[in-house]
Amino acid sequence: MKTEKPVQDKPEGKPAAASGQTSAEPGIEERAGTVLEWMADRGIFLFTAALILVAAVFVDGFASLTNITDVFNRAAPIGIVAVGMTFVVISANYLDLSVVAQVATSAVILIAVSNEYGFVLAILAAIMVALLYGFVNGVAVGVFKANAVIVTLSTTFIGLGLLRWFSGGSIYFGPPDGAVRLFGSTRIGPIPLSMVVLVAMTLLLSFVLNRTTFGFLVKAYGSNREATRLTGANTSMVVIGAFIITALAAMVGGFVLAAFSNTAVSSMSDGFDFRALAAIIVGGTSVFGGRGSVLRTLLGVVFVSVLTNIMVLSGLGFGFQQMAIGLLIVAAVSVDALARKASVS
Amino acid sequence: MSDQLAVNTDPGAATRPVVEAVGISKAFGGVQAVDGVSLAVAPGEIHAVVGENGAGKSTLMRTLSGIINPDSGQVLVDGVALEGGDTRAALAAGISLVHQELSLVPEMTVAENIVLGSTPTNAGFTNRREQRRIAAEALEEIGVSVDLDENISRLSMALRQFVEIARAVARKPRVLILDEPTATLTPAETDYLLDMLQRLAERGLAILYISHRIPEIFRICDRITVLRDGQHVDTVDVADTQPDAVVKMMVGRELEATLGSRRDARPGEVIVSAKGIRAAGVNGIDLEVRAGEIVGLGGLVGAGRTELIRAILGADPRSAGDVTLTHDGKVHRINSYGGAIRAGFGYIPEERRTDGLALTMSVTDNIALPNRRFLSRASILERSRIKKFAKKLADTVGLRPPDVTREVGQFSGGNQQKVVLAKWLGREPVAIVLDEPTRGVDVGAKAEIHRLVRALADDGKAVLVVSSDLPELLDLSDTIHVVRDGKIMGTLARDEADEAKVMALASGQTLGADAGSDATPEGEL
Repeated sequence: MKTEKPVQDKPEGKPAAASGQTSAEPGIEERAGTVLEWMADRGIFLFTAALILVAAVFVDGFASLTNITDVFNRAAPIGIVAVGMTFVVISANYLDLSVVAQVATSAVILIAVSNEYGFVLAILAAIMVALLYGFVNGVAVGVFKANAVIVTLSTTFIGLGLLRWFSGGSIYFGPPDGAVRLFGSTRIGPIPLSMVVLVAMTLLLSFVLNRTTFGFLVKAYGSNREATRLTGANTSMVVIGAFIITALAAMVGGFVLAAFSNTAVSSMSDGFDFRALAAIIVGGTSVFGGRGSVLRTLLGVVFVSVLTNIMVLSGLGFGFQQMAIGLLIVAAVSVDALARKASVS
Repeated sequence: MSDQLAVNTDPGAATRPVVEAVGISKAFGGVQAVDGVSLAVAPGEIHAVVGENGAGKSTLMRTLSGIINPDSGQVLVDGVALEGGDTRAALAAGISLVHQELSLVPEMTVAENIVLGSTPTNAGFTNRREQRRIAAEALEEIGVSVDLDENISRLSMALRQFVEIARAVARKPRVLILDEPTATLTPAETDYLLDMLQRLAERGLAILYISHRIPEIFRICDRITVLRDGQHVDTVDVADTQPDAVVKMMVGRELEATLGSRRDARPGEVIVSAKGIRAAGVNGIDLEVRAGEIVGLGGLVGAGRTELIRAILGADPRSAGDVTLTHDGKVHRINSYGGAIRAGFGYIPEERRTDGLALTMSVTDNIALPNRRFLSRASILERSRIKKFAKKLADTVGLRPPDVTREVGQFSGGNQQKVVLAKWLGREPVAIVLDEPTRGVDVGAKAEIHRLVRALADDGKAVLVVSSDLPELLDLSDTIHVVRDGKIMGTLARDEADEAKVMALASGQTLGADAGSDATPEGEL
């Protein structure tokens, strides 16, 4: 049988993007570690270091103690929200948009209720509200299997609506000698208390994610929810837990934000959802779930804050900053998706 | 060098093939799925492709239709090579695949589904009249009458299968590929389908027909190509062969010789008892598994076996029936999946990638997942114990390489399956349920998994296995229940079971008289 074969010498395999790790061990599927995978996994370390270096050399006023502490003082509320929200992202439920409403509600409760009924009751009220947020979001997403983006977009509306209805949009001021003011102005040496809270929250939540059975289940659920269910885990509780952790972190973020200026208003947390998401994704936590860490989010917070600071110091306006954050998220999720495609196929 | 020069000038032009596969090879992660297989189909021919599960039939068909790009070899249409892995080119050249899994859009109408992918348009808008005309014509061609405006979700499985074929026919194909089209059909529907295919072939269409059902093949096909372990065994004319000869070629050994490696089973008391189980796809099944016993569930794809075990475990809801698990003198009533696991069930699901493993996590994490309570104190994981635990289990199942820190997704199918086993072995389950435990697994890993399953039974566990791999089912099981239409159609003890009996019960059709005198079902239970 003679069959003339037309030329069809297709080059075999992937182009030369393959890096050094060729594991020819039996039983292992050979997989080229691509530049993209490397970027999604390790890029943040390099980028953050490079950014700080560049800023220190080229941007006037960056490398001063005042500036650095100021950067972190401003970054703390969003950072605290972001380390909490990392749980929702790792559980493969995209994000919790309602942190915007949660942060503002917590801030207003802290100042308004302290003014009327005292500090302790304010904290208790805020905790109740945070648990309610976490529970409502968690049940809708984890039990009813509703889409997390739409659920939390809706609870943002509900929460901000309620807050504006009750507060009438007014600004609340704390007394100049109150506990809130004290909390906002205390420094340990040069370090503001907000920064201490951020680091403490990061360490605590990092422990919860990495060392407890709950954190383990959050990761496993994000990696494969059906496989996790089939090991006998109560997956609804995993999702509810992830939303409750996010809500409690958002509450603490709201406290820190209120203490920063000793004021609270319903619109004070605009943009927290996306800024927190930017930090999480840039840090290398995958929106597909199952991969990521709280420490990475802290690194993402540093990156985003330094980048914002550079833009501010360079005289670039808020519009430009907003656009840059948007671009950053698109770039980071694209790298995440491409790296996943490369690793899964 | 151009494609035009490559026209086949074979002198035997009377039966010149429409489509040829030449030396196709394809490996998936170390497993050679298809190895240098060639195949040719002539116009008007119905060509059967047979082989056991994993023989490479589906991979070959997916290569022909451009879904898979082969590692080597070519697909020729009229002697002209197609670009490998290009579904559009294959479709344009006239190769139409009717998918094994139904690929219709349930929310769309019959007409919309038939033209999907080549919807006729007028200046960018859907041309509804043309759409209905094409759909009506395709349905008429296959001789099926169904409302063009009905949603697919409202049709029976059989009608969906016919719409799927109409969709392939609407593309005016020259070759139609059908992969197990009768798996979910009743005998009457099957008859209808087979007649339809014969009519289409008489009009000059070339048909590639994949089926496990030997009687169907002998009824309509002209030639049979037999594959085994990815290799081409032979291509024979139906007129020159007998069903048992074909089965022998598929299996590669004398059927009687399969009973060699059996262990001596001395089943103990009843551990798992399921009574009157009803659920979606399950129509009243009673089942018992004893300590030290391996009970096999045989049957065709879609017979309701997976549905049955999921209903037993409570992984999917059941509408009626009671399940108990008895051990240490305690009777556990199983009402939820969580309860089943706590009582001592282990479940190795059919789809290890979607249901069995967290692929982005390490082997250690996957093994720790169902054992997390035991491996933690006050909800805090004990890392060093987890590491030791995972290593030990990886050794038990023979993970290769034994690197438990690697992501599971990086291992081959066989090793992934070993990790799924290891997860559950760690819990020391009382009863273990395995669904297609060696599907897509290479020969070596398969033998090791069989060894582990036998060891579990020897250790006094109750084992329930679903397998479409007949030699595996016969080899492992002490008792085989054959399931069809959600009911147990027959129960075969180890000494009386053979492939012919299982297949006869599974398909509900007696084999042709040539297939041997002992091939009739043992009476319908």
